[in-house]
Amino acid sequence: MSERNLITLNGQDVEFTAGETVLEVAARHGLEIPTLCHDPRLDPAGACRTCLVEIEGWRRMPPSCATKAMPGMVVSTESERIARHRETLLSLYLTDHTQDRTEAESYGPDQLFEMADRYGAEQDWGAMETVRAARPGDRNPYVHFHPESCIVCARCVRYCEEVEGVSAITLAGRGSKTTIATVDELSLLDTTCEMCGGCIDVCPTGAMAEKMPITRTARPERELEKVRSTCNYCGVGCQVDLNVDTAANDGAGRVVKVTSPPAGTTTNDGNLCVKGRFAYDFVEHPERIQVPLVRGADGELRAASWDEALERAAAGLLGVKERHGADSLGFISSSRCTMEENYLMQKLSRGVFGTNNIHQCAAT
Amino acid sequence: MTNSIGEIRDADFLFVIGSNTSEAHPIIAMEMKRAVRRGATMVVADPRAIWMTTIAEKHLQLMPGTDVWLLNAMAHVIIEEGLTDDEFIAEQTENFEAVRAKVRGYTPEEAELVTGVPADDIRWTARRYAATPRAGIYYTLGITEHSHGTDNVYALANLVLMTGHLGKESAGMNPLRGQNNVQGANDAGATPVFFPGYQSWDDEEVVAKYEQSWGAPLSRRPGLNLNEMMKKAGSVVKGMYVMGEDILLSEPNVLALEERMNGVEFLVLQDAFINETARFADVVFPAAVFAEKEGTFTNSERRVQRVRKAVEPPAEARADWEIVCEMARRCGVDWQLNDPSQIYDEFVRDAPKFAGISYQRLETEIHDGKTGIQWPCPTPDHPGTKFLHQGGVLRGKGLFTAVDYRPSEETCDIHYGLLLSTGRTLYHYNAATQTRRESGLDVKQPEAFVEIHPRDARGRGIADGDRVVVTSRRGSVTVRAVRSRQVRPGCVWMPLHFAEARANVLTNDAGDAVTGTAEYKVCAVEITRAEEGSAVEGLFPGAYFGLDGPGPGAEVESEG
Amino acid sequence: MSEKRRAEIPERLEREGGLTPGAARRVARATGVPEAEVYGVGSFFHLLADHEHPVRVCTGLSCRLAGADGVLATARAAGLPVTECTCLAACDEAPAVLKERSVLPSVRPEDVERAAGDWQRLTASTLPQDGPWRGTVGPPRTDPDQLVFDLLGPQDLSGSAYEKALGLDLAEMLELLETSGLQGRGGAGFPAHIKWRTVSEQEETERYVVLNADEGEPGTFKDRELLLRRPDLVIEGLAIAAATVGARDVFLYLRGEFADPWQSLERHLAEAEERDLFSGIQFHLHAGQGAYICGEESALLEALEGRRGMPRLRPPFPAQVGLWGKPTLVHNVETIACLPAIVHRGGTWFRELGRDEAGTSLYCISGHVKEPGVYELPLGVTLDELVEAAGGYVGTLLAFSPGGASSGFLPASERTRPLSFGALAKAGSMLGSSGVVVLNDTVDLAWAVREQLRFFEEESCGQCAPCRIGTRYLRESVDHHRHGTAAEPLGKVADAAWQMNEGSICGLGQAAALPLTSALKHFPEAFGLEPTSDGDAP
Repeated sequence: MSERNLITLNGQDVEFTAGETVLEVAARHGLEIPTLCHDPRLDPAGACRTCLVEIEGWRRMPPSCATKAMPGMVVSTESERIARHRETLLSLYLTDHTQDRTEAESYGPDQLFEMADRYGAEQDWGAMETVRAARPGDRNPYVHFHPESCIVCARCVRYCEEVEGVSAITLAGRGSKTTIATVDELSLLDTTCEMCGGCIDVCPTGAMAEKMPITRTARPERELEKVRSTCNYCGVGCQVDLNVDTAANDGAGRVVKVTSPPAGTTTNDGNLCVKGRFAYDFVEHPERIQVPLVRGADGELRAASWDEALERAAAGLLGVKERHGADSLGFISSSRCTMEENYLMQKLSRGVFGTNNIHQCAAT
Repeated sequence: MTNSIGEIRDADFLFVIGSNTSEAHPIIAMEMKRAVRRGATMVVADPRAIWMTTIAEKHLQLMPGTDVWLLNAMAHVIIEEGLTDDEFIAEQTENFEAVRAKVRGYTPEEAELVTGVPADDIRWTARRYAATPRAGIYYTLGITEHSHGTDNVYALANLVLMTGHLGKESAGMNPLRGQNNVQGANDAGATPVFFPGYQSWDDEEVVAKYEQSWGAPLSRRPGLNLNEMMKKAGSVVKGMYVMGEDILLSEPNVLALEERMNGVEFLVLQDAFINETARFADVVFPAAVFAEKEGTFTNSERRVQRVRKAVEPPAEARADWEIVCEMARRCGVDWQLNDPSQIYDEFVRDAPKFAGISYQRLETEIHDGKTGIQWPCPTPDHPGTKFLHQGGVLRGKGLFTAVDYRPSEETCDIHYGLLLSTGRTLYHYNAATQTRRESGLDVKQPEAFVEIHPRDARGRGIADGDRVVVTSRRGSVTVRAVRSRQVRPGCVWMPLHFAEARANVLTNDAGDAVTGTAEYKVCAVEITRAEEGSAVEGLFPGAYFGLDGPGPGAEVESEG
Repeated sequence: MSEKRRAEIPERLEREGGLTPGAARRVARATGVPEAEVYGVGSFFHLLADHEHPVRVCTGLSCRLAGADGVLATARAAGLPVTECTCLAACDEAPAVLKERSVLPSVRPEDVERAAGDWQRLTASTLPQDGPWRGTVGPPRTDPDQLVFDLLGPQDLSGSAYEKALGLDLAEMLELLETSGLQGRGGAGFPAHIKWRTVSEQEETERYVVLNADEGEPGTFKDRELLLRRPDLVIEGLAIAAATVGARDVFLYLRGEFADPWQSLERHLAEAEERDLFSGIQFHLHAGQGAYICGEESALLEALEGRRGMPRLRPPFPAQVGLWGKPTLVHNVETIACLPAIVHRGGTWFRELGRDEAGTSLYCISGHVKEPGVYELPLGVTLDELVEAAGGYVGTLLAFSPGGASSGFLPASERTRPLSFGALAKAGSMLGSSGVVVLNDTVDLAWAVREQLRFFEEESCGQCAPCRIGTRYLRESVDHHRHGTAAEPLGKVADAAWQMNEGSICGLGQAAALPLTSALKHFPEAFGLEPTSDGDAP
């Protein structure tokens, strides 16, 4: 570009790169513009209307998420008109939203309440009964739709189409009855849904929420401790936030929810699949082996102390080596375990028992 | 992977072969979907009409085990039509002439007869692949789990080298790792052929370095790979230490293995759950799971990322690394390693490719908007490596390897008229020790099934949902039949996750000559209707479409 | 999946008998569009979503004034599969009833009783024996040279205007349009030549012309009469537009309830084809499936593409990025029908026909007047002049809507204001689609306001919150006020109306509060409020 890409943003000349939206330019300059339907992974929808800004020469306030910066644009993100817009819009939203904040936040974080507080919106415009249809008979185990919290921003629908690519959910009906539905209002189980739970992740108000008992009965998300870790399923290495109720299990802690880190910060770009997001309650499974086991004289496994089990194991393997040589031992490590553990296993095999018979299920 | 996951979305041509990406690697599939949405062209080569075919420009539905024919025919077209990158070949590769001579005989027309893929589609794909600068190949076990798996990989590599689709963004050769830490386990040296960091087991300098470092004499004898260990279980291998694997579920031809296991004198198992292997264990250690320990996993794109402890393990369970340290101590060696970060430091000390990585860096650094560091990373100030072979093939020259088609070890005959492939579904994982204990996943996919084409089912009197017996030369299992046009006629498919119907009772343990990887993807079976037969409610194939979904074959199906 | 296959969704669902169980799945399979999306599309359109009620009684303002409630009650009592619907574009023949996809005019409770519980036997006693029913049009054909549409005149099948237009180059044609002063008659009054010029200037050479015949603004029914009486003007106008902007494909989007106008158009198209009048131009007829919002041009394009009829963000405008992303000229039926006359008689002639703005207009008038109908009068006549053409007032004038529900209510004192785009905008109202509804002093204006608000609530597409929530909020507020079910029920309506006007994506939401705000301004006493000097209107 020969001419410099400059816009005036709240009186300051700032640079932008071609194709950047006003919202993106503003964010880069630390200006906060509220958004509800925006997600960097999705095409802009401009539907929630929270991000409207003023542009000199434009009669109407355009959505900053869908407006590309053009040289010479004079943009205001703060003005009396914008302030009134935000206040009245948020007040209006709240008339069609559950009034019970505690309940709403038990489904998930609710940005609408937070935003109303932040922008000083009146919260006494009255309340209307929800007329959006729910899907009460849906027997899927993961996702529950709370229509009374839904603001119809369609982030879930757009995510399902644009990122997950399965289009299992849709906007259905119209007007105030517009809701999130599946084909013929079937259970998600009977649709193309792949249960990635992305709809939950992108929902700004907790209308799409976890259904698993361990999560449903948990404390609100903001009271949980997030521990960043790596998913233990496939080889993509998605980063996950294990949401831990630290007080549970007598202080041992319990993972009650898995959320994805924000888009654009990790290799999975804020996405997870069904296993990564939901398949963690095996951690709490009662069939977990609790204590070391050794095979008794009767041929059955029985509980033993660590001391006894370790002695038995070491003696057993050393005995085989003694009788048949080091190469009669086989060490099978696991691509499920950490790098460190695999390192130690091969060090044990090579350095302690003296054999190169060390492998793991590498090809699968 | 030679490329990073984040580069997939910018690819213009994606050749997906032997990878049920949307089920086995959903997140990578999202990146591919994104590329297609952007306008990229995707071609899927797979015996099954997997979900990815619904967004692909073409689906090359080849007969299982005929990959070399397909790939050599593509090479034939590229050479014949002068679409090779001659400069790249001249400067960066060797042995091209051998491949040129070899593929001369692999014409698309003959390939059509063997693979079942129309010659025109082979030509079209070859042209588009060669002519698109940002063209990437993505594959998984559909390529490697064959008795000729190495040949398949060579044939793919030949395509990459002759077109010069290497060493740049969004173009390259990308095996998608099946498990969270396959890469890390190999990095760590848990393989008979490498010390940590891909240092050869038989390089005397390396061996000497580790003898010094570990203060112990090391074996100069070659080690057995997993397939060999399983084959020699009970005869040569008399003692086993198994950490976190269920070999009795995941190994092929498992009934024969069970026989041999009786000859194993002593077996130590370390796992979070009692599994099939536990039946043969003398000692079982209760292990912690990922959420209960510290460490690192390395993903398919060579990105080292942290695993962090979120909760305490139950009762007396301990982290695997602690248990292994303790075992060493009981055997008379105290490693003095009290923390995974110390283990990591020891690992990188002797492994130059990783020398620059540390827990400290993993904690604080962000590259390209992403956490974690991609090796090679030789020094503490090195940012890591996004894609390999930039500015020259790593080993110096890319080596062409001429390969010939060899049939799979087992083919159909009058007793076993169907070819079985096995694989994963979206809803379960490997031996399913975790996913089948997770309350939701089991609802979606509660029991084992075999996908069979309606034509084959009809000929055998099998209705959708019937209980059927699947038999190979090695054993049989009973599962539900799902009539599906996802598989091509003559082929059937089973998931490998179900303990009560172990697909690996059926599979062939014939291994690849080089890697020893077993032929999970092709074996001959026959299917008969089991006694009671009734349609079942709530059976969800792990697949996208049921019987009457769209896709290839939906229209051509005819009675007779 | 080809994007064009998606466009088949509405029609395929129609052939399925609406969104019956399993229909979405079958259509998804046939088109390759994901099944949930198909369901979402079907559920958007009334005629598809509600497949259980083949009989629908219009309960729009004019129809309720004419006794729709009685018809509805009778039908329910008779056990007919009946439901309510919003405007059927037959306010002149109220109350109107939709039977499948045909509108029955002036239905009386006796008509319903005669059907004896069998909806298929339902008919209107006013229906002519031969051919479709037509409304009243006027004024009598005195001087055809002063008429653009000449609804009572003979059809012209010569194609001579098109021939003449082919003789003009682009610049000449644009100049002719500019001289004529032709404005879009769909509501906005936007100068037509600018749209044409924009489309012609686009780099993309694949361009389309789209006819917006999704007439549904309460009080408006002129498209119906034009299509029934003068399809020749519409088709020839479209051909002229297509030839000018370089389009080969013309899409005609008719509301689904227009079975008769559809047939009229089809007949005429067949005739034109036989005579090879417009060779090289393909005309494609598309039926709407019951959604007022699809009269909004970008929503119409979405519907044509087989999507939910939700308006697009602008910019870009359809003239730049329209149907399937191509430059698209979208015009209302009346606008397009002006073209043959302009080409024949010239821009100046056309411009000088009007008073303060160019041309004549097809004014629709209904409500409390003696002869509701469509009257072709110079653009800028006053209400009194229009009502005089329509036989005079019934009772004493209280209020009127000059341009459909979206134009709000004006008091009797505005009866001498020119009914033109500019003059009405100055009064905080609009000419819109020139559908004039007259209310006499027997009407409870708060009730009338409530009915208009209910219309917008029903017809909001639901995409953006200001409109989706605001339309319902205002209607509920007025209900609370009328029934005394809340304290200060109107306390926040001014703020809500301001928000709807500022925040909504399209004109529907931006104007939907006008019935209430205009009534509060001009008729505060109807809400038990003291008159104020300035009123509450934004």
